[in-house]
Amino acid sequence: MEYWEKEIETMPRNGLRFLQLARLNTTLEAAVRSSYYGGLAKRDRSFRTRVGEVAELQDFPFTTKQDLRDHFPYGFLSLPTKEIIRLHSSSGTTGNPTVIYHNRHDIASWANLMARSLFCAGVRDTDVFQNIVGYGLFTGGLGFQYGIERLGALSIPAGAGNSLRQIKLMRDYGTTAIHAIPSYLGRLLEVFREEGLDPRTDTSLRMLVIGAEPHTEEQRQRIQEMYGVKAFNSFGLSEMNGPGVAFECEFQQGLHIWEDAYVVEIIDPATLEPVPDGEYGELVMTTLDREANPLIRYRTRDITRIIPGECPCGRTHRRIDRITGRSDDMFIIKGCNIFPMQIEGVLLRVPEVGDDYRITIDTVAGQDDMIVEVEVKKEWFRGDLQFLDALQKRITRLIRDEVLVSPVVRLVEPGSIPKAEGKAVRVFDKRIR
Amino acid sequence: MAYQVSIFLENKLGHLERVTNVLKNAGVNIRNMNLNHTANGWGILNLVVSYPELACNLLNQNGLSAALRKIAVLKMVDKAGGLDQLLKRIAKAGVNFTTAHGMVLEEGKIAFFAIDIEDIPDARERLEAVGLEIMPDNYVYGTRFM
Ligand SMILES: [Zn+2]
Repeated sequence: MEYWEKEIETMPRNGLRFLQLARLNTTLEAAVRSSYYGGLAKRDRSFRTRVGEVAELQDFPFTTKQDLRDHFPYGFLSLPTKEIIRLHSSSGTTGNPTVIYHNRHDIASWANLMARSLFCAGVRDTDVFQNIVGYGLFTGGLGFQYGIERLGALSIPAGAGNSLRQIKLMRDYGTTAIHAIPSYLGRLLEVFREEGLDPRTDTSLRMLVIGAEPHTEEQRQRIQEMYGVKAFNSFGLSEMNGPGVAFECEFQQGLHIWEDAYVVEIIDPATLEPVPDGEYGELVMTTLDREANPLIRYRTRDITRIIPGECPCGRTHRRIDRITGRSDDMFIIKGCNIFPMQIEGVLLRVPEVGDDYRITIDTVAGQDDMIVEVEVKKEWFRGDLQFLDALQKRITRLIRDEVLVSPVVRLVEPGSIPKAEGKAVRVFDKRIR
Repeated sequence: MAYQVSIFLENKLGHLERVTNVLKNAGVNIRNMNLNHTANGWGILNLVVSYPELACNLLNQNGLSAALRKIAVLKMVDKAGGLDQLLKRIAKAGVNFTTAHGMVLEEGKIAFFAIDIEDIPDARERLEAVGLEIMPDNYVYGTRFM
């Protein structure tokens, strides 16, 4: 097994905890130099600059995206602006954007995490890596760029869009690895086909990196089939630098989250209490290696879980599961936390129904019901009641097994559910609160 | 063998009209109609029409889910207990149908009974073996004089 930084990546857990503790205390000291955390430490005694154990973080207040917005533009900056060499900011069409500043150290640390991530997935300095995402303020462009360069592979900073040009670049320079969002790879394949080309035989591709967009294992499998190579999951968010936060290794059994750079917690978004390993909840992160813009217990709003057990690759940094949605999308019914992506995952395993679905939560006779509407695909319809009856029962059972709540499954005519555009709302909560 | 058109339909206002409208515009004559609703908000509409294949294609083109299903249309004995007698003979033939509907094909004079035999490959042989008469297609579709 090859590692980018063997010592850190395979560090025993107790060693990792010591490293985390030392870095956490440094981070807390840096944090209170910002006006936001400085003020918080004065106001709120649970915010301290020194802890004896990483677990003590659980007493600290959370930081939210709204806090970042409310203290725009410099409230979270811990260093004089002359030390800062770059900022990344969210588009933020309404209200203040969220902005993260980096000094030289931060950029170098991020580039190293990114290089470690790529190496972990199998990228080597002999690769030709085409980065098919937007550059500029979006962190996926420059984040990958610096990582590829740090690793020493040949980078092609292609940017997003223009599929014909992407294909030409891939063929001209013998691209062996690409990074793109999963939905784009579907569109790119169509252009390959229009050109009479097959990426499996007409390119030198040997791997894909996908991220920045929630997707299911089934979608990943489809992408792997279409391109004939493995697709590795990348996870990051701009508040935590961007990409390079967590990455899949060659075993593709979850994403190693770099615990020398982040303290990772998973909480129940409703109670804000930690959940046991293996259970889904909201990812909360604390930066450990960022000087300009430290964040303490940042609520990412991403839903995932810690995958229990050790990874065969030998890395000791724990693994998170793919992101199954946003905590804002979560709804609670009959005491169970449910995420639309869980339902979507079930439906993707049922070939007889289409990808479009709609969830309605309603109170019927004083009891909350989850109504899941799905379209039966025309090609499966044979005109008999028995088939539809059995299909409905099967979907009901599959969803119940997944979310532990029995849904009311409604089969609807094809085309009657509005097509989802990007991140469309799929859940309608009609309950009276 | 004759066919009926079976259509997946939600229990919603106006959905049935969507079907009849498509057929009306194409000049397809609806000979008989039977609606099987479930408690789950949807059902199956079974139609015996003058041109089942055309009707099925048109409905599918218009965004509905329609399928052709094989039926056997049997004449009912025109006296009290006629249906009972017919059902007994169908049972004797060992034809275990799940969908059936009565139809009147000739101005209220004679009654017929249509059973869905799509999933029973040897239904015809079995029914004929017990002496039941299966009505010819053009009679079922009402196209025999055209
Ligand atoms: Zn691993």
